[in-house]
This record gives sequence, structure tokens and C-alpha cells, in this order.
Amino acid sequence: MTTGPLTKVFYTGQRGALFGLAFKTALLTVLTLGIYRFWAKTRIRRYVWSSVSIDGDRLEYTGTGLEKFLGFLVAVVILAIYLGIVQLLLFYFGLHFVAEPETGEEALMQAAVIYITLLAVLPLMLFATYRARRYILARTRLRGIRFGMDAAAWGYVWRAILHYLLTAVTLGILLPRQTYWLEKYKTDRSYYGDARFEQGGRWTGLYPAMIHLLIAVLILGVGIAVLALTEDPARAVPLAALGYGWGAFGWVFYAVRGRRYLDSHKMLDGRVGFDARPRVGRVIAIYLLGSLAVGLAGGAVFAVASGATAMAVGPMAGPGGTGPVGIVIVALLYLGAFSVFGALVLAFITQPLIAHFCETLSILDAGALADVRQRAYDKGGDAEGFADALDIGGAI
Amino acid sequence: MTGPQGAVAATFFDGQTAQRHAVRIAPTSDGLGLAVLFDDAARGALVWPFDRIRALDGQADRASLTLTLRAETGDEAPRDPARLIVTDAAAVDWFHRTRPALFHRDVRPGTFRKVAIWLSGAVAATLLMLFVILPGLANYLAAHIPVEQEVAFGRAVMAQVEYLFGDGEKGLTCSGAEGQAALDLLVARLTEGQAIPYALQVRVFDHAMPNAFAAPGGQIVVFRGLLDDAKSPEEVAGVLGHEIGHAVRRDPTRLALRAAGSAGILSVVLGDVSGGTLAGIAGEHLMRAAYTREAESAADDYALMLLADAGVSSEPLAAFFDRIATLTDAMPEYLSSHPLSAGRAERIRTGALYGADRHILDEAEWRALRGICG
Repeated sequence: MTTGPLTKVFYTGQRGALFGLAFKTALLTVLTLGIYRFWAKTRIRRYVWSSVSIDGDRLEYTGTGLEKFLGFLVAVVILAIYLGIVQLLLFYFGLHFVAEPETGEEALMQAAVIYITLLAVLPLMLFATYRARRYILARTRLRGIRFGMDAAAWGYVWRAILHYLLTAVTLGILLPRQTYWLEKYKTDRSYYGDARFEQGGRWTGLYPAMIHLLIAVLILGVGIAVLALTEDPARAVPLAALGYGWGAFGWVFYAVRGRRYLDSHKMLDGRVGFDARPRVGRVIAIYLLGSLAVGLAGGAVFAVASGATAMAVGPMAGPGGTGPVGIVIVALLYLGAFSVFGALVLAFITQPLIAHFCETLSILDAGALADVRQRAYDKGGDAEGFADALDIGGAI
Repeated sequence: MTGPQGAVAATFFDGQTAQRHAVRIAPTSDGLGLAVLFDDAARGALVWPFDRIRALDGQADRASLTLTLRAETGDEAPRDPARLIVTDAAAVDWFHRTRPALFHRDVRPGTFRKVAIWLSGAVAATLLMLFVILPGLANYLAAHIPVEQEVAFGRAVMAQVEYLFGDGEKGLTCSGAEGQAALDLLVARLTEGQAIPYALQVRVFDHAMPNAFAAPGGQIVVFRGLLDDAKSPEEVAGVLGHEIGHAVRRDPTRLALRAAGSAGILSVVLGDVSGGTLAGIAGEHLMRAAYTREAESAADDYALMLLADAGVSSEPLAAFFDRIATLTDAMPEYLSSHPLSAGRAERIRTGALYGADRHILDEAEWRALRGICG
């Protein structure tokens, strides 16, 4: 970390404006049978990006809906061929290893083994995750200068798979190692103009962030021990519940504190540093209050939608059901209610989280940014087409 | 902004470096362009022609404008990388009022053609995959899988079904020895002289649903509900003939292979649509329904052939379909995986062989079969 003048980052987006935009674009998405979603995502990102102010300059999102749509079409063709043929062949060869099951559990295990071919999708999902991040950076500008990322998605895929395996084999003890090295892989390949980001620090620096996950495991361990010794579930159940609750808190704690450590140890061009101080309590409060608001408002909307459905479709119901018109009306109302729900989540949970992470971030020695030079245009590959087709990411 | 005297302060980024430039802007004297005058005297003035000036759309800050130039670059949009940030309220208002082309979209020529080509290509490729390549591949592989593997797979499927729907330790299969003997007798009489690639294994599940199904490898299951609802052993024979038809044509294996291939494709096509899971399930159902209706008709034909060869009338089967029509035909045909029962009954009657009147089981055997579940 360098010392130097601190520049705070501000977020100016408003709940109402974002909700209106998200709701309007979600309705258009429903009416166009999902095709407008690429433009919807683009418009929402434009709003969110331009709400981030760094030293008085706003971020700019330059992605277009059209390139996302075309990228999606390409991804669909490739995935349809890959998924169709590979899954079918894996299933076929899986059949050759089926033996007569002795028990019901064994039969279930076999079914799981046959369908585990779905794991064939995991490398693609990792690939899509990296490419989506590269596309987002390639379409983000500050002061007219592009961000960017190296085209190195396959290197990310095999590293991520090895780290996942290692973490699984060590029962999660090496989770910080996975988190740190994967973040470093991505960060060290990210640029602002011609200036490269670099992830500093050490992977062991993430262990303090894991403390509450460890406590949760200990509580669960004690619960299991109590059950084994006393054989009285009434004593073990409260411990198990406490352990799970603590585990959920531990995950949030790890995510937020991990981000704090990782972001505070990033450098740009060896000169510009960052100071990130997101707070666990604030993040949990945003989730809880946001869920409450979304739940109340969303519940009301669902109630109104159901009432409207009953009024619209009820009189049409004859002895042979309601017919295709009724089905279409129900589907449209259902999808409309979903649009409201999505827009509420974006405005009341996602945006406040983004705002919190922005406003707790400071830039050290931002004056050095003036020397950064433009980088070349990156076509952006599939423009997130794979990520969209594989359903990774969500609204933004 | 009426003249050079009224020049207002703005911020300029040249698109080459992240250096912030303080500038003043004003319309040129001929009114055709915007002059950008740098406070840093070392830099010469720029003129941006008004007809090419565009502003960024959909920005969160309504009080300012980010201006750029339309330019034929290879970028994602035809825009110059330079940016001019105007925050002066009067100037922003002036731009909004007097520059109608400010938010013009500038679509590149040939864009619609490109979209049309890619869209039709993607739709064609997906349909080809779902309705030609995968079914073809599934049919080919189903015909080439060794019978013993298919049988093992079928046993595994049956074990899963029994485990999932059974009541814990007690299996679902009814074990009445006399009933099973009668059932085997019925199957033997029905398939006498036919070339059947499997050792058929027919059993009864203790469940009230009036239904039957075939699993891969010649595994056939009849539910107790069907035996309860049937008025004669010939009705049961007709239904069994239908299921044997599925087994002989390897339909269960073909469908399992097809499903394995097409399962992921629909969710990929739907992508990130909210509520997409439900639409995906509905689409999957429609697709499978289209696949199987055809297989059902073929199995009906096979059943007719078996009944005719065994000298059994197909009238009882037609009567059976008529009875269940009231239950199953509430669903329109395009939603259902089976042809409408009323239509099937009609087809079966037309194909019926007159004079066929053999009783496939006698009274005592029929009673034993109905009592198989105790």
C-alpha cells in the first residue's frame, strides 16, 4: 500500500430511478419474449456505471445490446451442439458401466453417476465467467480511457478446477488459497488503459476473514459429538441450528473481509493504491432490510397479480378448462410479477450493496492516473453470450 | 451560449490519455461547430461540427452532458473516444433545446441484415439439433447398444423407481404367486411366435393409478389401478401389447438418450430470462410430448398386430380407451404426450379383426391376476 492523497469514490444512483428503469425494461423483455433482455441489461449498466464518481469523473459503460444479442446467438449454436452431442454420448457410454444395483441407495448412486455428466458444463461456466468479466472491463471507460483484460479464459478454467479440487480435498482449509490465487490471476491480467493492475498481499492474509466459518464448523462438530455421546437429538438440534446460522454469517463475513483485504492490496501501475473498507454489519443490514422491503412490496404485487388473474381468467373457465388464452394471460401476469420482483431486488439490494462497496473505497495517489494512455479496442469475444446462455450473473 | 464571449467552462478528455483538460466551449462564428478552447495555451483549439456531436444516453446524472463525436471507428459504436463533459446548466439546457441530433443512435449500415442472418442461422441450428441430429443419434445409438447393457440399465431404472415411490422397506411389486403365473401366461400367449429381443419381465405395482409403462430392456410395469379398472383380461392384454410395442421398438432407451441430449439445450436458449425455469419446464414438456405422440401411435399399431396374431379381439382395448377418454382428454392434444384416447379408440376399431374372439385368460386365471396384490 502506498501513502498519498486519498480520493473518495461516490455513488449517486437513486432507488426510484433504477427501479423505474429496471421495471420498464423488464416489461419490454416479457413483451419481446426475452429478446429485449440484452438491451435491458445495457441500459441498467449505463445507469449504474454513470452513478459511480471517481474524483468527479463518472464511469462510462459503452457496451451495446446488439453485440450482446449477437454474442448470445453464437453461444447458443455452440452450446446446443456441445451440450446436445456431448451429453448424449456421455450418457450412452455411461450406460456401459451400469451394473445391477443391490439396494435402492446404490440405484440412486448409479443415477447420480449417469447424470454427473452435467459436470461437463462446469469448465464452460468458468470460461464464461472469465469472458464476461473481460467483456465488462473492455466496455468500461473512465476519462475516455478503456479498461481491459487479457484474453486468457482457458488458463483460468484449469486453474479454477484444480483449486476447487484442492479445496474440496482439504475440506475447505485451503479456501483462502483458492480465493487469493484466482483473484490474483484475474487482477494481474486487468488494465486501465496501458496501466496494469496487480494483486499484492499473501494468500494466508485471508485466514483472519475465515474465523467465523471456523467457529461454525466447531459448533457443528460439537453438535455431532453431543449426538454421538448422548444419542439425544433434542440436545444436538439447537447446536446444529446455531452452527448453520453462524455458518451463514461466516460466509458473508468471509466475502466482505476477503474483499477488503484483496482490494486494499491491489495496485495500478505500481503507483496508484486502493483502500477498501466495506463493513460486514452494513452488508448484512442491506440484505435484511432489502429482503424485508422486497418481500413486502413483492408480496403485495403477487397478491394483486393473482387477484387480477382470477378476475381475468375466472369467467373464461368452462368445462374444458380455460383454453390457450387463459394460459397466456396467466403466464404473462406471472412473468410481469417476476419483473417487479427483479426490479425490486435490483433497486433495494443490489444497488445499495454496490453503493456501499463504492463509498467505502478510496484511491491513493489518484493524480498518477493522468499519465495513463489509451489501450486498443477489444472486440469482447462473445459479449457475455456464454454467460447469458448458461445463466450466470443475473441482472448486472 | 450565443457567442465566443459567452464561452463556458467544460472538461475535455482527448481519448488518448487520462489527462483532464480544462477548456472553454462556444459555438463558432458560422454557427456550424463547437469551438473547444484549451486553457493550456500550448494546445491549439478544436472545432467539433454540430451535426456530428452526440451525447451519451441513459446517464444517471441528468444535470450534465457527456458529449462525443460520431466517427467511423471500429469500436462497439461509431463514436470518437474523446469526451467533453458539460456541467454548466445553461449550456446543458441549450444543447437539449437546440440540438435535435444529440441523442441520435447512428446504426451502422448492414446491421439489420447481420442480425437477420445470425438469428435465422441460430434458430435453424437449434431446431436441426433438437429435431434431426439428436433424435437421429439417439435412434442410432439405441439400436447399437448391447442388449445386456440395456437390460442392466432397465433394472437400474426399475430399482430407482421402486426406491423413490415405494414405501421404505416394503417394495412396490405385488408378489402373489398365482397372479404372477397368470400374468406370465397372458404375456406368453400374447407374444407366442413373435421375435422379441428381450426376456420380457412384466410385474404389477401396488398403486391405484390406472396406468402402465415400459422401462428399457423389456421391463414392463402395470399398476394395480389398471387391473381394477379393466373389465376383461383382453383389455389388459391390449395395454400390455402396447407396452411390449414400446419395448420392442426400444422407445424407452431412445427417449432416455434423446432427453439426455436435449435437456440442457432449452435452458440455454432461454438463458437469463426471469421466470425462465418455468418456461423451460413447459417447453421441455411440449417437446417431449411431440416426440412421444408418434411413438405411442406406433406402439398402438404393434398392439393391434399382437392381438390379431393371438386371435384376440381389439374391441376391448378400444372400449378401454373410450372409458379413460373422459379422464385424459381434458388436456388438449398438443399438451399431452399421448394421442387423444377417443381418437385412438377409433383407430383401433378400424383396425380390428372381425371374428377374433379368443379369451386370453379363463375366469380363474383372471381372478388370480386381479388378486395379485392380495
